[in-house]
Amino acid sequence: MLRSYLPILIQIILASLIGFGILGLSYLVGKHKPTPEKLMPYESGVRPTGSAHERFAVKFYLTAMLFILFDVEVIFLYPWAVIYRELRFFGFFEMLTFILVVLAGYVYIWKKGALDWNKN
Amino acid sequence: MDFFRQHILSITTFTPLVGAFLLLFVGKENKNAIRWIANLFGFLGLLVSLPLWFWYNRADGGFQFIERHEWIKTIGANYSLGADGISLLLILLTTVLGAIAILSSWTAIEMRVKEYYIFLLLLQVGMIGVFCSLDFFLFYVFWEVMLVPMYFLIGVWGSDRRLYSAIKFFLYTLVGSVVMLLGILVLYFHMPEGQRTFDYIQIMNYLHASPLASNIARFVWLAFFLGFAIKVPMFPFHTWLPDAHTDAPTAGSVILAGVLLKMGTYGFIRFSLPLLPNESQYFKGMMAALAIIGIVYGALVAMMQKDWKRLVAYSSVSHLGFVMLGMFCFNPNGVNGSVLQMINHGISTGGLFLIVGLVYERRHTRMISEYSGLSHVMPVYATYFMIIMLSSLGLPLLNGFIGEFTILQGAFQVSYTWAAFAVSGIILGAAYLLWLYQRTMFGEITNEKNKTLKDLNFREVATLFPLVVLALWIGIYPKPFFEILERPVNKVVATVQPDKFTVDSMGNLIVPDKAKANPLPASVPAGTEAAAAIQRDLPTTQSATPGVEKK
Amino acid sequence: MTLPQVPILPILPELILTLFGIAVMLFDPFTAKPHKSWLSSLAFIGVLAALAGNVLLLAAEGEYYNGMIIVDSFSVFFNFLFLIIAGLSILASRQYLVREGVNHSEYYGLLLFATVGMCFMGGANELIMIFIGLEITSISTYVLAGFRRTDLKSNEAAIKYFLLGSFATAFLLYGIALMYGATHTTHLSQISSALLTGRIDLRLVLAGTALMMVGFSFKVATAPFQIWTPDVYEGAPIPVTGWMSVGPKAAGFAAFLRVFFVALPALDQKWFWVLWVSSVLTMTIGNTAAMLQSNIKRMLAYSSIAHAGYILVAFAALTPNGIASIMFYLLAYSVMNLGAFAVISAWSLSGERRVTIDEFAGLGYRQPWLAAAFTVFLLGLTGIPLTAGFTGKFFMFRAAINSKLYWLTIIALLNSAASLYYYLRPTIAMYMREPGESGRTSAPQDSAPLQISMATKVVIAVSVLAVFYLGLFPSTILDFAQSSAFLVH
Repeated sequence: MLRSYLPILIQIILASLIGFGILGLSYLVGKHKPTPEKLMPYESGVRPTGSAHERFAVKFYLTAMLFILFDVEVIFLYPWAVIYRELRFFGFFEMLTFILVVLAGYVYIWKKGALDWNKN
Repeated sequence: MDFFRQHILSITTFTPLVGAFLLLFVGKENKNAIRWIANLFGFLGLLVSLPLWFWYNRADGGFQFIERHEWIKTIGANYSLGADGISLLLILLTTVLGAIAILSSWTAIEMRVKEYYIFLLLLQVGMIGVFCSLDFFLFYVFWEVMLVPMYFLIGVWGSDRRLYSAIKFFLYTLVGSVVMLLGILVLYFHMPEGQRTFDYIQIMNYLHASPLASNIARFVWLAFFLGFAIKVPMFPFHTWLPDAHTDAPTAGSVILAGVLLKMGTYGFIRFSLPLLPNESQYFKGMMAALAIIGIVYGALVAMMQKDWKRLVAYSSVSHLGFVMLGMFCFNPNGVNGSVLQMINHGISTGGLFLIVGLVYERRHTRMISEYSGLSHVMPVYATYFMIIMLSSLGLPLLNGFIGEFTILQGAFQVSYTWAAFAVSGIILGAAYLLWLYQRTMFGEITNEKNKTLKDLNFREVATLFPLVVLALWIGIYPKPFFEILERPVNKVVATVQPDKFTVDSMGNLIVPDKAKANPLPASVPAGTEAAAAIQRDLPTTQSATPGVEKK
Repeated sequence: MTLPQVPILPILPELILTLFGIAVMLFDPFTAKPHKSWLSSLAFIGVLAALAGNVLLLAAEGEYYNGMIIVDSFSVFFNFLFLIIAGLSILASRQYLVREGVNHSEYYGLLLFATVGMCFMGGANELIMIFIGLEITSISTYVLAGFRRTDLKSNEAAIKYFLLGSFATAFLLYGIALMYGATHTTHLSQISSALLTGRIDLRLVLAGTALMMVGFSFKVATAPFQIWTPDVYEGAPIPVTGWMSVGPKAAGFAAFLRVFFVALPALDQKWFWVLWVSSVLTMTIGNTAAMLQSNIKRMLAYSSIAHAGYILVAFAALTPNGIASIMFYLLAYSVMNLGAFAVISAWSLSGERRVTIDEFAGLGYRQPWLAAAFTVFLLGLTGIPLTAGFTGKFFMFRAAINSKLYWLTIIALLNSAASLYYYLRPTIAMYMREPGESGRTSAPQDSAPLQISMATKVVIAVSVLAVFYLGLFPSTILDFAQSSAFLVH
């Protein structure tokens, strides 16, 4: 049973070999001349000020969550599209129902004002 | 009338419930209407129970007035009621004391009158139900349900440490009864699959045909013992009793002492003895010892009490010790005396609590030292107190004497030691009661407040008078009571000691050597059904009727 | 290819509930604030419709959707139970939500969705389906627990329940994975037959069983996984607490029973002892801790732990009788507890004040009927005869004795007697103390006459009647439960 996992194991080993190998090579081969500018978080960028733990407005999270929700639901369209020919009308109506449900959610968040950026 | 006759036990049980239900719809400000309705139903409950006395067939020791309906078929629980002589007397005691208790509360209860009477009537339902259930499930339901109204009676209308006493009473008895439930379930599962039932008679017949393994039987016996002994209460399970009795309102104390304690002794005689006779024999010594400790200990502690009500409460421990001792003599005298003493104790101690309640209502203290010389201002009161006090200590011509004397007769047949201890209990009982009477009734009136006390009014006399009549009746002419008890008691005795006593199916004792010569005892006319039953049963070992034991 | 025939009937109650749930949430933004109470009526109608749909299920027994869903009298019984719980909870919440200023219709939507999840748990015949049902229920419950958004305790309850609940779900999922790894199926009866072949890795199965047991124990709050209960129950809004203590718990037991009796009967001697020990711990911890509480919600939370312990006693009986008695008891417990919480919710003041036991002082004379109903529920929970609590416990302990579990039953009986001590405390406060005695000075508006809405009254009345009906005439329900408890072959 475990034999079937062998390719995965090989892939993990190869991937880590390549990753660590490149890092190691650059460490060994490259020259090291650190300057203060080079050690800054953003080289040739704006110097960061203040605490890194800045509080964001909740509406950012809300938008992000809504994006993920609808994004994930849209993903269902891909496998559906691949076998659409086989499913024919049945598939059409199934997906129509699905989209209607998603639409209901969309109407809900819209009317609730979740998409209204300037609210409050 | 026919309907009434067939359902008399149900009607007796549920008449108070109707009263309680009606009370729900009376406005709570209307106190007098509430009192009238409650008293009406208390009296009605007594009235409907009276025909039992006349209709009961004294020649038959089995259960009568049987009612049976299917209830929970899946588990084999039935609504089945029935009464033999033992339950009959206790039911009548309950209805009499119930009516008196309700009457005695007329002026004593001024707060939350409506709830009070509802609980009192509900309590009545539970107690009567316990005495006439012939189904373990039904019995258990009544047995536990009755705790709820009593808990509220003590907790709401009680005095001093009422919360503590109420919870203690409820918890103690509940612990006992859940363990008893376990015993009931073991008996239930002893029946073969498919025939399982909670029916008392069927379980008893099956147990006699195929007894439990002795270790399990002892376990079951002890489970029952815990449930009943806490209720009686036997030493060392008695500690809830003084608290509950003392803190309960007067009517509550009357019912507690008069009826509730009898549920424990009734449990022993109805369940422990006939169902598990061998185990009852096995634990006989322990029971006698506990009973004797109870007799002496209760009496000694009673003597030391400063609180009038607590004194009466401890006297109950002592008296119930007598009842238990008589029961575990396992001979007709002992058991007859034991049951009669249950009734006597209900009358005398119920009366004593009424007596305390009457002065408590006037003075709001129960300390004996607060009273003295009451006979000067309350002569009627003092007279009633004296009769009831004498009945409690067992003066001849009063009921207590008959009960105690019969028990002593039974005890002598078994052991001189038992009897000697029991006699010492009687002497101690005389001591604390007479001393109490002397301290409270005689002498000078030392307390100013006592000088203006009013003597009993008509209603108060009406609560005591029936008790005095009963005490005199049993004391002078106890025959009707023994007639009712004789055959059911014979059956119990013959079940426990089949080698010494034999009875026919009606519960008549068969003298052993005569039985060998002539299978038909003289008391059973030849050709009757009973006679046929005896002839049929004699050669075999299989018993058709639970009470009949053969050689 | 022809159109596949998709039967709707087997999941009709779930579908109806989902549609109504969506409708309730969709209509909310279109409804002006003063008229929002019609949405709760809509949700209630949804529950009634689902109940009607559930009746139709009785005629459609069988396995559906490749064996993922099963319709049998077991699942129908639990559907009825969940719907009754949902209906009563909806009615009991109306007044409370308005009073607390959180009358958002999402509440009812979430309640309906959670009920959908519970119905799936009762009807699932397959581990993944159980997991899905569990997740639908749990996620809705997390939100409901924190429904009083501005209250810190409610927030605490939600986050605690969320964290520990997810943790439990992870355990369950891991258990399912191991079970699948060992038996190559998630279908319950196939797992059972795979175990009987003996050609499977028993270590994997045992590990899977243990992990699933941990997951379920979290959900039904049995020791040693009961720790989250008191805080969550205390913080959640009162009607939600009432609902949580019966609904998700019953669903957890439904799935627990089905998985262990259908899929894992071959190992019952292995998990029996775990149940035995857990049962003793659960009862004893629940009862002991309940005695020490002063907040009535916390007290009932601990008591609900104790009740889960009693249920495990019947579980450990491993017989159809035991299962039937559990089903009966869950129903009995649900009506008693929902009724009790309805009373608490009616008596408490806005902001969830007046919820300590002492503050019930005087209720007996200010609101005699309310107090009488509360007393009935408390005595029922104790197991005093004539109430549903007695018949329920009686059937469970009877099943345990039948399986010769004497010691376990003795412990359970004594625990049950001890529970009287804390169930009596509210009655003492209500009847035997005067309002002033608790030492608190109550504000004048607190002694204003109580306004109890019709819906709350209906819930309390229905619960009282049900408590007495199940206590006096348990036959009908018990026989139905008995006939559905065929699970053990």
